[in-house]
Amino acid sequence: MTRPSLYSLTLALPLLIWQLAFFAVPLIFLIAISFWTVRNFQMMPDLNFGNWERILTRSVFWDAYLRTAILATTSAVLTSAIAFPAAYAISFKLSERVKQWLIFVLIIPFFTSYLVRIYALQVFLSDEGIINAVLGMLGIGPFGMLNTTFGTLVGMVTLCLPLVILLQVFSLNFVNRDLVEAAHNLRCGRLRTVLAVIVPSARVGLVIAALFAFILSFGDFVSPLYLGGGNPPTLSILITDITKSGQQWPRAAVVALMMIGTLLSVAFAAITYAYKERGK
Amino acid sequence: MNMQTQVISDAIVRLEGVVKKFGEFTAVERADFEIGRGEFLAIMGSSGCGKTTTLRMLAGLEDPSEGDIYLDGQRVNGKATWDRDTPMVWQSLALFPFLTVQENVEFSLKMRGVGKVERAQRARIWLEKMQILEFAGRNISQLSGGQRQRVALARALVTEPKILLLDEPLSALDAHLKVRMQAVLSNLQKDLGITFVYVTHSMSEAFSMADRVVIMSRGKIEQIGTPQEIYHAPRNRFVAEFLGSANIFTGKLVEKAGDVWQVETAHGRFAVKASQAVAKSVGDTLSFVVSAEKMQIGALGAGVAGIRARVVGEEFVGASAILFLETESGEELKVQKSHGELASIDLHSGSTLTLHWEPEACHVLPGE
Amino acid sequence: MTGNDNRLINGALKLHIAACVLFIFAPILGSFVFSLNSDRFPSLPLGQFSTEWYRLIWEDPFVWAGFFNTVIVGLIVAVIATVLGFGGAYTDFRYNFFGKNVYLALALLPPTIPVVIMGLAMLAFLSRVNLSGSAISIIIAHGVMCSPFAMAIIRLRLSQMDPDLEAASWNLGGNEWATLRHVILPFTKPAILAALFITMAVSFDEFAVAWFVSGLNETLPVKILGFLQGQVSPRINAIGSLAFLSSITLIILAQMLLRNSTKDRS
Repeated sequence: MTRPSLYSLTLALPLLIWQLAFFAVPLIFLIAISFWTVRNFQMMPDLNFGNWERILTRSVFWDAYLRTAILATTSAVLTSAIAFPAAYAISFKLSERVKQWLIFVLIIPFFTSYLVRIYALQVFLSDEGIINAVLGMLGIGPFGMLNTTFGTLVGMVTLCLPLVILLQVFSLNFVNRDLVEAAHNLRCGRLRTVLAVIVPSARVGLVIAALFAFILSFGDFVSPLYLGGGNPPTLSILITDITKSGQQWPRAAVVALMMIGTLLSVAFAAITYAYKERGK
Repeated sequence: MNMQTQVISDAIVRLEGVVKKFGEFTAVERADFEIGRGEFLAIMGSSGCGKTTTLRMLAGLEDPSEGDIYLDGQRVNGKATWDRDTPMVWQSLALFPFLTVQENVEFSLKMRGVGKVERAQRARIWLEKMQILEFAGRNISQLSGGQRQRVALARALVTEPKILLLDEPLSALDAHLKVRMQAVLSNLQKDLGITFVYVTHSMSEAFSMADRVVIMSRGKIEQIGTPQEIYHAPRNRFVAEFLGSANIFTGKLVEKAGDVWQVETAHGRFAVKASQAVAKSVGDTLSFVVSAEKMQIGALGAGVAGIRARVVGEEFVGASAILFLETESGEELKVQKSHGELASIDLHSGSTLTLHWEPEACHVLPGE
Repeated sequence: MTGNDNRLINGALKLHIAACVLFIFAPILGSFVFSLNSDRFPSLPLGQFSTEWYRLIWEDPFVWAGFFNTVIVGLIVAVIATVLGFGGAYTDFRYNFFGKNVYLALALLPPTIPVVIMGLAMLAFLSRVNLSGSAISIIIAHGVMCSPFAMAIIRLRLSQMDPDLEAASWNLGGNEWATLRHVILPFTKPAILAALFITMAVSFDEFAVAWFVSGLNETLPVKILGFLQGQVSPRINAIGSLAFLSSITLIILAQMLLRNSTKDRS
């Protein structure tokens, strides 16, 4: 291997150094402080497994863990299911111009504040809110939607839906149109072609879209807090609760690391599944 | 004008006044022809001539804008491709990459609700026939081009259809493999006795495999006939030029003496032997062709006109060579001769030759 | 339209798209409407039209200070993230080296880590190295989050470039630096400008609001955490709407730049 030139290093290193120093190191630092102790509201360097023991033996943590995992999984499945017919129609049924335009429209939500959107959703979902007012005019309700799991899921789907539709559209755009026609030609009807040909062809993209929905929902704290009521807590809420109570940063670090571990395992499993080869 | 060169007693496909438009663009201007049961029909033309669109209308992947298509006596306009029995082999082959070879072949059986055991059985028969049984469990990506071709054929044929549609299936193969697959396809079609409709831009593929050839250009059908008919009796200038080896002359018919006509051209007056099918009277303009191998070099016989032309190039074609010549008025002529015959002439670039031909060597284009 | 297509199904699918777009945009439009409404907790029927919330933020010196800080931070972050992102994109385009996957993962992963965890990690780390509590800490955090976006945009543009262009320039006597200046930079210029706008927009939206809402003198992660317990006033709608409008202006500018650059190619 030749020695890297000054030129290549000048271009490659700044980003590497920045992300190492301000992204990787803080995350590694998180591992370190998970073994520290807190005395008199001060963190002291240490090699103490007490924080891990304390968190991992608490049912509060495991309840939150399970709840968060179920919420995130539900959100990923729900969002994928809602997104797919839309993505399919955008990719297969619309003209190129409308397609481009819709993609642009779906990018817009990324540049709006999630907090602001959730606050607006509160207004929609609350007991005297807009949805219940509309339902009331029809003589139904009111339904308690705020501070429920339903509310949390509405928020999560709001967060994930544009991204999932876009990722699905991009993967569906790569589905070879000849394959769809070939399936039709071989007696495969409309719905069956979607299931037997389009979904397997776009599998990698569909799985990755669902994975992103899982990641976003798993780490989200705004929806569970503002639309779900925050009690019982999810893992993100647990982190903020722990940091607030007596500077217990080391314990919060343990929860955070458990979350990162979970996300990495899920991502690894999903990507392995997505790229799994058929045949010999 | 009547495009149909013969009436087919037992047609499996009939196209009646079929027109296909995509917005402003007319892909197929008017198609009227029949395809016989058990026939190998090639549709030939350069890209954009409407040949693939015609095939896709047969498959049910496009609907005609006007006219009717009959399959087995039944009008099929508007009928979905999955309700027809017209399997197609795609130019890209369109094999499902997420299924194994055998699963690809089983696909249409599965769609018809054939049980698992029977499916596997029938698929394996076809894999065996196509000599790819050993690859049954493989992924498509692990196969060579020729093997994929065979999978695509097996997949389309496994339901034993009466007709198979092929859209330039050999275009991705190298020259050597192409010739081998041509033989495979030819034999397959004869053995099965089913109809093949084969779209291609290659004259050699069409002429070596097909019973009849349809030549299309810009959405119009220029000629339908057997390879021999087309080769020896092109209908018009387009077909003659498409075949590539003909010299075309245009002139005025000045005298008819039985079937020997006198035609006055820019190069002089020529005697042309006309067939009875051409309806022209004295004073009409007509075009005739003389194929390159029927051109003769050298001294003129009595009463035979000749053309002087300068040699501008030479191309070897196996046992013979084609000379390219230019007349004084700048028109290109082609002469095909054996190497032996050419060696006896003092030949170099720039030498001037006298060319002539027998009246019997001429073919009057009926469509001009 | 062939027999393979069905008008009814296509119609239902298009309705579904419309429903999804409505669902996604209801909160965004709602926020606009609520920001112009007199009610603290709007419901149907809507209250009076009012610019009260805009007047309140207009008169709030903290909001103004926050606004200037956001703009300054946004500008600095945009430059840093674009410079870092350009280097990363060019490295990915040009070089293959041992550990490239690790390099790319490090460069691109930050947006996938939950904000709470990033906030916790950064706050813990930055306070340890005495970098917390200042605008610098915010710039650092935004630089980490924004550079992947800049890198992706510039990388896409580079993938449209014929790799032989660079070799041709070397062949004509330009050294690497001269080639970078006279070939690579002009070619990627539209993407670089787009990256500047988009990273600025990213820096603007989510964090800007958190910052406005929770005061000025704390670090970003603390603000986000603090925001969770603080009172949310309907002013958030007015601030959010303004932030959204400025973001979307930047995005449209970026979009126009990228559009024009693709036209150049043909």
